[in-house]
Amino acid sequence: MAGAGDFVLGRAGVVAALKGRMLGAMLLVSLWPALAAAQPAELVARLSTGVVAITTAFVGESILVFGSTEQPLGPGGDEVIILARGPSGPFVVRRKVEVVGLWLNGPSARFEDVPVFYAIAGTRPAWRLLPEDIRRERQLGLDSIPLVSTGARAPGFRRALIELKTSSRLWQEDAVPIEIAGSRLFNFRLTLPSTVQPGSYSVEVLLVRARRIVATEQLGFVVERTGSAADIEKVARGQPVVYALICIVLAAFAGWAGSVVFRRV
Amino acid sequence: MQVYLPIAAMSVDVLLLVGVGFGVGWLSGLFGVGGGFLLTPVLMLLGIPSTVAVASGANQTLGASVSGLMAQARRGNVDWQMGGVLVAGGLVGSVVGVQIFALLRRAGQVDAAVAIFYVVVLGSVGTLMVMESVRAIFRRRNARAHRLHNHTWAHGLPFKVRFRKSRLYISVIPPLGVGFLIGVLSAVMGVGGGFMLVPAMIYILGMPTAVVIGTSLFQVVCVTASVTFLQAIQVGGVDIVLTLLLLLGGVAGAQFGAAMGGKLRGEETRALLGLLVLSVAGSLLWDLWRVPATLFSVGPAW
Repeated sequence: MAGAGDFVLGRAGVVAALKGRMLGAMLLVSLWPALAAAQPAELVARLSTGVVAITTAFVGESILVFGSTEQPLGPGGDEVIILARGPSGPFVVRRKVEVVGLWLNGPSARFEDVPVFYAIAGTRPAWRLLPEDIRRERQLGLDSIPLVSTGARAPGFRRALIELKTSSRLWQEDAVPIEIAGSRLFNFRLTLPSTVQPGSYSVEVLLVRARRIVATEQLGFVVERTGSAADIEKVARGQPVVYALICIVLAAFAGWAGSVVFRRV
Repeated sequence: MQVYLPIAAMSVDVLLLVGVGFGVGWLSGLFGVGGGFLLTPVLMLLGIPSTVAVASGANQTLGASVSGLMAQARRGNVDWQMGGVLVAGGLVGSVVGVQIFALLRRAGQVDAAVAIFYVVVLGSVGTLMVMESVRAIFRRRNARAHRLHNHTWAHGLPFKVRFRKSRLYISVIPPLGVGFLIGVLSAVMGVGGGFMLVPAMIYILGMPTAVVIGTSLFQVVCVTASVTFLQAIQVGGVDIVLTLLLLLGGVAGAQFGAAMGGKLRGEETRALLGLLVLSVAGSLLWDLWRVPATLFSVGPAW
């Protein structure tokens, strides 16, 4: 008896539950966008700092790019690509030629819009993660930076630019691996050499799944001169006449003062 | 300990810079020269851009020469009148030199041009110094009376002026020309030019040796000040942090070098200096001559 009652109740409960779930499903469908926003994001990333200060003791800096993903990272799962870029400017590549036994600068090629800093790293190299057209469009990889040159046309100049920038560590491609912890946390150490130029730098973190970019996180930091290095540079650029006079007076004074001090030694 | 050079936009070891300054200062004190001709090539070897090396080298030479000039002026060893003529030529020369430098930079030939200037100038000056001092060492045994100065073609030109301190009655054209040439070289090479000016004053102008050092220092101070000014406003290569660090070591080194230099004899000193000048020229020539490790170079476009 109790069992039948239970059964009846149970049936009613099942029906109610089914109705409730259908209602829930309908609700879910209608509220999908709102719920999706409330869900944990596919990708979250942050930088350890937003400002890199070039002081007189500046020897370069390293910034930590870290974050987490919702789906597990690694082989067979999601992949992460990190791309950091500095401001762009024109550069000239020159080739030495032999002139009566001496090696002088000969033909040159001018490249417009060359990023002064460029670093890319991935849980795997970008060319293995993404189709070629997407990789080119997003400029993921040193070979996909559009380097348009005027002047000498030989392809050697483009290759030389990439080699020289890479050897000065201003351009880096998969130089340091992205470290993964617990298959959802990732971190990457972005190293800036002491020759970085001031300006605003962008850091893009891309989440790749099945050869498609499914989420991106746009971050950035600023490299700026501060302290006396900034003041000296500012005066030298802004008021060159004042700077020139200061240099003359300071050098003359330092030479005189130094000779007085060291004569007594 | 590293220091960031604001104009060169790179970081360099402080002790290395002070050490370089000390070494160059020591040699310059030993031989009684400014040392700019050693400093600028060494800075370029350290990887400092040639524009910064030349401009800061000139600025350092200014600082290194000031105390010498003051000491010489106190002893009355400066011919201000002759110095004024030399400086007039030198200032014009430095203006022309900085224009040449700016042109070379735009053409991307600064490094090679500065090196070639060094090879030609140091090579010929060094050879002359060694030859002259070797001859003097041999002649010492059968010494004969010297004339006050030798009369040369320089004494036959118009616009003659009496330079009382130097006991000369010569045309202003040779000193103007010498000053001009040294000014050009100073601007392009980042040197004071004392190592060329002193022999030119003795052999071309026929000035008495007593006033040569003081007067040449006067010209060096004025021309390096002019080069510093023009390089700073036109090329923007003067790095005051670099200059002051080099001066710190340089002034100390010069005192030690000067103390040692007193023990050397004149001819031997000049022969050694000539060999040093020749070796700097030789190493720069070797750099131009050998097949470069990297054929390509990259720099920001101007």
